[in-house]
Amino acid sequence: MLNELLRVEQLASGYHRVPVLNDVSFHVREGEMVAVIGPNGAGKTTLLKTISGLLQPTSGRIFFNGQEISGQPPHTISRLGIAHVPEGGRLFPNMSVMENLLMGAYGNREVLKTGILDELFELFPRLKERRHQLARTLSGGERQMLAIARGMASRPRLLMLDEPSLGLAPVLVDTIYDRLRVLRERGLTILLVEQSVHHALSLADRGYVLENGRIVLEGACAELSRNSHIRQHYLGL
Amino acid sequence: MTDTLLQNLINGALTGCIYALIALGLSLIFGVMNVVNFAHGDFVMLSMYLTFWIGLWAGVDAVFTPLLTFPALFLIGLLAYYALINRTLRQRYVTQIAVTVGLMTFLRALTQLIWKAQPRALPYSLIQGNIQIGPYTILASRLVSAAASVLAILGVYFFLSRTWAGRAIRAASDDLDAASLVGVPYRQTYALAFGLGSALTAIAGGLLMTFQQVDPTMGVRFGLLSWCVLAMAGLGSIPGLLISGIIVGAAEAVGMSLWDPRARSLIVYLLFILVLWLRPRGLFGRK
Repeated sequence: MLNELLRVEQLASGYHRVPVLNDVSFHVREGEMVAVIGPNGAGKTTLLKTISGLLQPTSGRIFFNGQEISGQPPHTISRLGIAHVPEGGRLFPNMSVMENLLMGAYGNREVLKTGILDELFELFPRLKERRHQLARTLSGGERQMLAIARGMASRPRLLMLDEPSLGLAPVLVDTIYDRLRVLRERGLTILLVEQSVHHALSLADRGYVLENGRIVLEGACAELSRNSHIRQHYLGL
Repeated sequence: MTDTLLQNLINGALTGCIYALIALGLSLIFGVMNVVNFAHGDFVMLSMYLTFWIGLWAGVDAVFTPLLTFPALFLIGLLAYYALINRTLRQRYVTQIAVTVGLMTFLRALTQLIWKAQPRALPYSLIQGNIQIGPYTILASRLVSAAASVLAILGVYFFLSRTWAGRAIRAASDDLDAASLVGVPYRQTYALAFGLGSALTAIAGGLLMTFQQVDPTMGVRFGLLSWCVLAMAGLGSIPGLLISGIIVGAAEAVGMSLWDPRARSLIVYLLFILVLWLRPRGLFGRK
């Protein structure tokens, strides 16, 4: 059995005493791709924000590679090897594509000597063409690609993606998921939060269903795709 | 008549370069942490007094005192950040304003206590003489000060675009959460921006003392002027700040020559209101 890279135990979290997550427990093994699916407002974004340290848990514990990380500030957690690509990409709009990528490696600058930028440009050739442009001049699809590439620039051990398909045309969603498939095949551990359930379940190994701040269902993605609750409420079949 | 106007315009534009440098410090602080620092002008005033004092007691010329006052103001900025500003970041806007206005009043009272209320000036500057162009006389010290300000602004520009610390400041000002997620420790970045923003007033203060006197009420004047320059330029454009600084300096000159020496601020603020009315994001602002 593979080593557990991320372990979340009985996590509760929220904003300004408004609870969002309740008793959430799950794990991600090394090399695995795990999807968390659920309706809008279920707490998916809150979950990622709590893991990366943008929000403090009200109770429960989070372990990364065996080390407890709950309560640490985001810049410390990112340096341990967790890259969080937030909802909407959250680029640095007034910095160039190149500077956005460099900033991605801010917490782990030695990695720039390992040719990571060339690898990323190979993965996302559009970014190479646009490397001198300001991030705010990019199209929606290019922004999402840059957000993912910026997350990858530090060579993280765990990549957490929040709704990479949000607001994108279907053909662009396919392009993004095609790139994620490449990353997955290279052995990267990925935690994906997604409303586009069809895409998430077709690519990930395992999935958790989050509803009203609780995990109501879990299993292998193939299994979840056959589940009647999922088929009815998420896949519209 | 036109001669006086042009003469004053030249002087005003040269002084405007120093205003731009002061406003650049302010924009670093406001752009990164959204703190309206009302005490910024009083840091300029404090720098001018320190320049005066070092000049008087150690005989260091005002042109070189920034070598000493720059690190001093950087430390004072850090102190102000950690002792006061850091504690107000999560508070309401009113609290932040009260704190920086309090700091402003404190600095003014402190300088009054130490140096009394009468204006002080340095008896001597290394940069002497005038440059004569036709009927116009340009004071060499004003010209050198303007050039030094532009150089300092260029220095900040390169710091922000070419160094890791500078890029971290820009990233934090673009999107604080995203910056934290890539490993930027935001409190340290805030402290650096506040320290650097304050330290820039040391250069401005030294340059101003080469041709001008200082009194404790000057802090308010420089504070308001630098807000004018920043608001007229808008956030995010360093060349815009320089142009806006020159416009403000020139507007002061127009007020002085066409109306009355006491009307210099009046024209500036009329222009300021006009710009913000017609173009609220500033002349060069990006939002």
